[in-house]
This record gives sequence, structure tokens and C-alpha cells, in this order.
Amino acid sequence: MIRVFLRGLAAHFRAGRTLLILSVLGVALGVASVLSVQILNGSALGAFEGGLRAVSGEADLTILGKVPTVPDAWVREAMSERGVAAAWPVVRTPVKLEGPGGVFLDLAGVDVLAPVWFPWDVPPGEVAAALGAPGWAAVSEKLARERGWAVGDVFDVSSGSRRVRLRVGLLVDFRKVSPLAGDRLVVLDIAQAQDALGLEGAVHQVDVKLSPGASRAEVGERLARRLGPAAQVLTPEQRRSQAAGLLSAFRLNLTALSLISLLVGAFLVHTTTQAALVRRRAELGLLRSLGTTRRQVLAILVAEVALLGVLGTLLGIPIGYWAAAANVEAVSATLSNLYLLEGIGSLGLEPWVLALAVAVGLGGAVAGALLPALELSRRDTRALLAPFSLHERVGKAAPRLAVAGCAILAGTGVWYAGLGRGWRPAGFVVALSLLIALPAMTPWLLRTLCGRLRARGFGLAYGVKALGVKLGTTSFAVAALGIAVAMLVGITVMVGSFRRTLEVWIDATIRADVYVTTESWRRARETAVLDPAVVSALLRLPGVRSADRLRRTRAFSGERRIALVGRDVGMPGGEGRFVLIEGDRADAIRRVAAGEAAMIGEPLARKAGLGVGDRLPLTAPGGNFEIPIAGVYLDYAEEHGSAVLDLSALESRFGLAGLTNVDLYLEPGASPERIMDSIRGRFPDAPLELLSNRRLREEILEIFDQTFAVTRLLQGMALLIAVAGITLTLLVLARERVSELALYRALGASRRRILRVFLGEGVGMAGLGILLGVPGGVALAMILIRLVNRAYFGWTIVPSWPVAALARQAAVLLAAAAAASLYPAIRASRTPATELRRDDL
Amino acid sequence: MDPVLEFRSVSKRYEQEGGEDLVALREVSFSVPEGRAIAITGRSGSGKSTLLHLAAGIDVPTAGKVAILGRDLSRLDEGERTRVRRDSVGLVFQFFHLLSHLSVLDNVMLPAWIAGERDRDAEPRARELLARVGLGSRASSPVPKLSGGEMQRVAICRALLRKPRLLLADEPTGNLDDENGRRVMDILLRLGGEEGSALVYVTHSPDLASLADETWRLGSGVLDRP
Ligand SMILES: Nc1ncnc2c1ncn2[C@@H]1O[C@H](COP(=O)(O)OP(=O)(O)OP(=O)(O)O)[C@@H](O)[C@H]1O
Ligand SMILES: [Mg+2]
Repeated sequence: MIRVFLRGLAAHFRAGRTLLILSVLGVALGVASVLSVQILNGSALGAFEGGLRAVSGEADLTILGKVPTVPDAWVREAMSERGVAAAWPVVRTPVKLEGPGGVFLDLAGVDVLAPVWFPWDVPPGEVAAALGAPGWAAVSEKLARERGWAVGDVFDVSSGSRRVRLRVGLLVDFRKVSPLAGDRLVVLDIAQAQDALGLEGAVHQVDVKLSPGASRAEVGERLARRLGPAAQVLTPEQRRSQAAGLLSAFRLNLTALSLISLLVGAFLVHTTTQAALVRRRAELGLLRSLGTTRRQVLAILVAEVALLGVLGTLLGIPIGYWAAAANVEAVSATLSNLYLLEGIGSLGLEPWVLALAVAVGLGGAVAGALLPALELSRRDTRALLAPFSLHERVGKAAPRLAVAGCAILAGTGVWYAGLGRGWRPAGFVVALSLLIALPAMTPWLLRTLCGRLRARGFGLAYGVKALGVKLGTTSFAVAALGIAVAMLVGITVMVGSFRRTLEVWIDATIRADVYVTTESWRRARETAVLDPAVVSALLRLPGVRSADRLRRTRAFSGERRIALVGRDVGMPGGEGRFVLIEGDRADAIRRVAAGEAAMIGEPLARKAGLGVGDRLPLTAPGGNFEIPIAGVYLDYAEEHGSAVLDLSALESRFGLAGLTNVDLYLEPGASPERIMDSIRGRFPDAPLELLSNRRLREEILEIFDQTFAVTRLLQGMALLIAVAGITLTLLVLARERVSELALYRALGASRRRILRVFLGEGVGMAGLGILLGVPGGVALAMILIRLVNRAYFGWTIVPSWPVAALARQAAVLLAAAAAASLYPAIRASRTPATELRRDDL
Repeated sequence: MDPVLEFRSVSKRYEQEGGEDLVALREVSFSVPEGRAIAITGRSGSGKSTLLHLAAGIDVPTAGKVAILGRDLSRLDEGERTRVRRDSVGLVFQFFHLLSHLSVLDNVMLPAWIAGERDRDAEPRARELLARVGLGSRASSPVPKLSGGEMQRVAICRALLRKPRLLLADEPTGNLDDENGRRVMDILLRLGGEEGSALVYVTHSPDLASLADETWRLGSGVLDRP
């Protein structure tokens, strides 16, 4: 048996070199697509966790405020709690490194003298000695190398409109202590950090270490009670899951993508193995007729396919890693733009991800081969020589499959209308049922559509008609393409609609002429505060008609972390800034400006189930309070929810903490560029960021586009399926139909004509896939917009149809299909008429 | 006037792995004039199919010259040979080789499609041929529903569609019972005669061979003609 296996294998290698290469490549691409997305997904969370552990490494509990800063008196409070062994304050905020490049550093202030945990393994004496030096900072060796710094060099950072000079005091490798720590970590003594950031008596968090034997839950509860409603006491696990919750939408994207990649991978592996098996059919028939048992045949096949899987996996792992590395920057940028987190510093390749890759490659290959292999080993030997029965069986099953597909759709529809509606992931179940129903209907649709076609002539149409006959082979490729197209169309329509909606919203709300903020605002948000002197100078600038002063901060509404904005709500002529979907605008603005009420953004309204007439709970440093809701406005900036108070109301509740943004409205005829120049002239040293109206609009859309750059990856995958799937399928067809092709040649068909028929088959498959995928994609888009978006984000998205973009994608797919058909078509056209064997056809 | 088919000292040898070449045809010479029916008999492996393949330009001889209507096939490239076959040769096979996904009429029309002819011109001819073989009412039936004899009659119509000057049939009755075989052979001869096509067919049956104008024997690649 072994000998037969090895002989067969050797012949395999010799005879089907192209198919073999394609097979291995197919498996490799499948493995690579799964691997790359998993690596990115894992690294994104890893980046956050790394930052967490680097600073709060040994803490059992962390006390955070439900308001931006907490009093440092909380350290003493915590120390006096039973079960607390140590407590130490931490200041933490992103700061902007001065100079070009937009580099942000993660500034951490820790009590260098306290006998607690540090993110380094340097003897305490060495560190303490450096304390006297103003601006002393420990930086990572990698950062120093990148910037060309040595110990003693100085560098400037800015936080809000404040600029601070730091000095490289110590080079450390933070990774030695916490392997995932970012390279951009900068550690200061806490007193100096407070000084530099203007945090008098305030810190960002208090880390707590428990005495041996103390229960985290109990101590945590007691601490929370002692510190009042403005405190949050969290275990490291809770912090991690909080972060995971913040990142949920982002991770949802990636997870959806990885599911799609799994699908693509499985398809490629399956088609590939099928292709590899088809050519063995006759040989296996012979083996069987010579008395080889079914089990032996099965063993030969599985062994062969497993070898294919191993080769493919070995090749796929480096390709996948490379693909992840190529995309890490885009993912990283999204992380820091949207979630204000540190980008991904390094790619982690965890063992389980590797295991998954192996499972997909090997398992996929074997699983993909199992069905055809079982069929080959079971089938009576005579039938093995005739390749038609499989197609006939698929043809017979086609109507039943189509009915099953419809039943799945109807069943899910009924389920959603009844029970599913309240369940958050229900939208995904509906989408999934669509993606299952689509391929189930494919064989029947293929047979019906192609059967209807009147082929008048021997060319493209003739090729398309032939697709309806080889259902066993073609339905797979067409179904996979259909799914890929449906996902592509669905996501393109969703993103297109979203973008269109966003543009309309931007038009309505981005009305100011010049937007003033600080360079560090981008990442640091509420800690990036403008100097009051700068603000009052801005308001007095000639040419400025009015100004909207903003303080953007974060706050808690119950357990929900939201963005809270205080602004000059009643600014004359500024009504257009709010597009209300609930409540009367004039009335709402009047009440909010008077400090009697708040307005909330749509995502918060949907997620918390709040509306006009309800009261919004908020946590202020002084305790919890509630304020009536006067309106709900469209908000696409904060996916976790936002609320607006009048600036004066915010200050009276939350204390005076400085503004973060000022939006300037100019006198008619005043030039924004001139005003921006004069601001720069007045404050040459302040790290201000000035954006014109146009630039801000562009920037919002740029960030949007970057976030949804994922669609490009999807398009790549659809193309991959189109190209690899069509090439492989046509190669299989060419092999199955040698006799038919030989007949055409015998009847006088030129090579060129056969080439055309095959191109017709390839383009036809793509066309049918598009035909199938477009309605599926439209349905998917509606599911994404109406169900998934509502459940996870809570945005109003007005559907719009980016016809031009879709047409372009279809054209690209068709062109790729034609290109992918070329090689098999050439092979097919070379079939000699002498191949006309007696038994097939 | 040139003969429809001419062989001049045609030899065909097949290379064999690790052994002497196999000579399938040895110095075969003959010519077939217009309208004539020739039967070829011979044992299995004597080279009958090889001879027909060479005559159709499907394969090329190792030595000698094959000409159809005076055109030397060895001087033509593969594409030109295909065109000569398409326009001047009709083929009938033992195993019919009909396409099951096409209707009876479409199977007959296939050569016209391949030649890029317009349906309008070819369809009346196809229907007429089907009527002549007694299948006029089956034009739109699916092929798998037909009996063996009916299938071969369809295949004959397909071979005749484009009025080939030369009809080649390799054991056209080999897959049929005696009665059906006889009927098919009659039809082939009658239609070939009516269309004025020369016919070369291979058969194992002396009865069917006797229906031809001449019967030639092939023995180990050597043609023996009276
Ligand atoms: N492609 C080929 N390669 C090698 N040898 C071949 C090839 N085709 C035919 N032969 C050999 O040439 C000889 C003649 O074959 P051919 O098919 O012409 O015989 P035949 O007279 O048609 O036999 P049958 O009555 O069995 O159909 C045989 O010995 C055959 O094995
Ligand atoms: Mg023969």
C-alpha cells in the first residue's frame, strides 16, 4: 500500500506540477489570511494590556475616578483601609513630543521614593540620586536610539498649551519587567509630573497592593464605600475587560474580518483539495477494481491531502505574518486615532494563533478532502471512471437545497421578528443565515439560469451555459464568489451610506471658521488644557465675531463612560451646531443654556434607552446628580455616548479645569488664514493646533476612511477568491472534460474558439457570482445598517447607494476573472483531438 | 480533379518507453474519389483508427503525405488542419459522443456554431437532416432520453450538417445491436450518397462491409486492397 501511495505521489508531482503548486498556494493563502487577521487582533489587545501592566504591574487594585482626576489625598485614605499593604499615586497621560512627526509619549509619574513596584529593575539608590535633577525622566532604550538621545539630553513635551522640558536621566528596558510595555513610555517622579502637568494635589489613579490574605473583592468594596461615588475600584481583570469593552466595536470589525478570512481560507483549501482529487479519480477506480479496500483508498487520499496541508501551512505562516506586518500601521493608526490608545509596537505571534493556522491548513485540507474522498472510496468502481455522477447528484439535490435555503431565511426572519429582536448579536445571526442561504440556493439558480440560456454559437454564451452542467464543481466557486461579493457589496454600501450620512452631518455641524486646540488634544483629550490667558486673547482678536468655548471631558453616567462636553450652548447664531432627532431645538438650547437641562447624543440615547423627558444621571466630584434631557442630537464622533451641558453648568458641577477647545466664528469677510497667522504670531511658542473649517472636515473624513480601510482588505479577499477559485475550478473542469474538449477539436473547433469558451466560463462564473452576490449584499447592507449598527453603535445611517463604486468593483472582479481564466483556458485549448476516449462524455 | 482523400506512402510510428517504436501504419497509399464508400476491416490493433485519425488531420503521419481535396495536410499548421477538418470532414464515432447538456437539435448545430455560422442558415438544414433520419419530432428532446441507434443517427446528422466532402466513421455500429447497426449503416450510406460525400468507415462486420463500394483490409499496419 505504501508503495502505491509513494508511486502515486511521485506521479502526481511529475504530472500535475501546476496544479500541485496551485494547491499548495491555495492552502497557504487560506492559512495566511486567517493568521494575519488573528495576529492583528491579538496585538491590538496586547498593546493595551502592555501599557497597563508596564505601569500598574503589581497592583492588586487600581482606584480610578469617575471624573478625570482624583485628589492625591486618596492615597492616604486607601492606606488607612484594612487589608491594604501599600498604595501609591500614579499620574498618566499622553503628551506630545515637540518637533515634527506627531509623536506622542506615554507619560507616567510614579513615586520614585516609595517602596513600591517600578517598571524597571534598576537599584533604587541609583534612581533616588537622580531625583534632585529637574525634568529627570526614564525613557526606553529603543526610544532613545530612535531619537538619538543620550543620558543628559533634553527634550520638550507639551500637554495642553503647557510645554515642559525633560531630561533623559535613565535608559531602561521596560520590556525586561513587562514584556508588552510600549517603547514610548516615559517615567517621571510623581511630584515633577504633577508640576509639569499643572495637577496640584491631583493624580489620575491610585494603585493598591493588598496585605497577604486580604480579599480583593472585600477590600475593593470597602475602598469604594470609603471614597464615595466618584471612585471606581477595579481589579486588573476588570480594567482589561473595561478596555476590551471600549474596544468592542473595533474588535468586532476585526473578528468579523477574521471570520471572513476563515471562510475564504476554508474555501481555498477545499477547492484546492477537490482539484487535486479530481485527477486521481480514474486511478482510484482502477485501484478499487484491483481489490484495494475502501479504507486503503481513503487512507491514501487523506495522507496525500495532509501532505498538501503541511506544505501549504508551512508556506502560509510566513506569508500571514508578513501580511500582518504590512497592515499593522493602518490598524495601529485606528487604535490611536479613535480609541486614544497606544499603537501596536510589536507583533505578537502567540502559540494558539499558530495552532489555529495549523488547524486551518491541515484540518481544512483534510476536511475539504474528506467528502470527496469518502465518495470516491465508497462509490462503485465502475462509476469512478465516469466523472458525471457527482454533478448529477448535485443537480438532483439542487431544488431541495434551494428550498432549505429559503426555509433558513424565513425561519430566521420569523425568529428575529419574535424572539431575536432584544438580543444584541441577533443582527449577526440574521446576516449569518443569509450567508448560509446564499450558497444553498446557488446550484438551483445556476442550473435554472444556465439552463434557460440559449447558446446560439460556440463562444462566451456557450461556456456560460456549460456551467449549469458541471454543478458539482461550479456551484462551489460561484457560491464562494457570491458570498464574497455579498460581503463586499454589503460593506461597501454600509460604509458608503455611513460616509454620506457623515458628510451631511459635517455640513450641518462643522460651522466655525477656525478650530483652536492643542497639539496634545488628539490623544490626551481632557488633560490637554488651554491656558486661560490664551483663551481670553483669542476671544479679543479682531475679526472674531463670536466664539464657542468647549471643555471636553469624560464622565460617568451610571456605569457608562461617556464624553461630556461643556460649551457655550446659547452662543448667538450657533443653533445649527445641533441636529436634533428628538426635542425642539430652540427650546432645548434655551433650557440647556440656562443650565436646567442637558442634551445627549444618539448613541447614548439608544444604548441607555434615554430620551427627552428622562433624566440623565451623572457622577461629579461632589457626588451623583441627575439632569433633565431636553434633546437628542445626531452624534457620529463618540460611539460610547456623549452629552452636552452649558459650559457654566459643567464648571459649577465639575469645578474649573480649563478649556480644551475654542471654535471661532469670524466677521463676514474675515479670512481664516489671516486669523490663524495672527494667532501663531501672538503665541509663537504655544503648542496650539489651528484647523480651518475645510481642514477639519477633511480630517474627519480621513479618519473615517482610515477606520474603514478594512474594506480594502475585504476587496482583496474577494479578488483572491475570484482569481484562485476560478483558476482552480477551470483547471478542474478542463481536466474533467478532456473528452468533451477533444470532441470540439475533432469537430474542427480552433484553439482560439475553445479559449473563448473557457474565458466565457470564467467570466460567467464571476458574473453569476455578482448576480447572486448583489442582492445578497444589499440585504446584508440593510442588516448591517438597521440591525447590527443599531445594536452596537446606535447611529442613524441613511442608506445611500454608491453605484459608481460598486460598478467599479464589479468591473475589477470581471477583469480579474478573465485574467484568472486565461491560464486554464490556454491549457484547455491545447487539448488534442486524439484525447477523445471511448467511455466518457 | 483531386481525390477527396489521398494517402501516399503514409507511415505512423508511436514511440514507446524503453522499447522499439510501434509501427501502426506502414507505407499506406490509396486515394478515395468523390462519392465513393470504402469499408475498412481488420483485427483489433491493426491500425484502423490510426488511419482515420490521420485522414481527419487529428494526428500527423511520421512519414508520407495525407491530402484532403488536394491539400497536403503536412504542409498545414495545426490551425489550418483544424479548419480543413471543420469545413471538409464529418466524423462519426463508435461511442456517439453527443453532449448530454445540449438538446438533439443543438447537438446537430454544434459544428455550425463552431464554424461561426449563423443559426438562421444552419437551423433549417439541421431540421431537415433530422427529418431525413426519422427524428424530426425529437429536435428539442434531451439527448440522454434517446436510444443508442437514435443517438448515432443524431451523430450522423451532426457529421453531415456542413456538407463535408469526406465522411469518416470509426466503427459506427460497434455499440449497437445487429438490427440497429444495419439501420444506421443504411442511413449513413444513403445520406452520404445523397450528399455526394465520400465515406470511409471501419467495421468488424463482413455484412456491413459488403454494403460499401469497396472493402479494404488492414493487417498489422499494411493496407491490403483488391
Ligand atoms: N497514442 C498512441 N500511443 C502509442 N501507441 C498507440 C497509440 N494509439 C494507438 N497505438 C497503437 O497503435 C496500434 C494501432 O492502434 P489503433 O487504435 O489504430 O488500432 P485499431 O485497428 O483501431 O484497433 P481496434 O479495432 O481495437 O479499435 C495499436 O497497437 C495501438 O496500441
Ligand atoms: Mg479502433
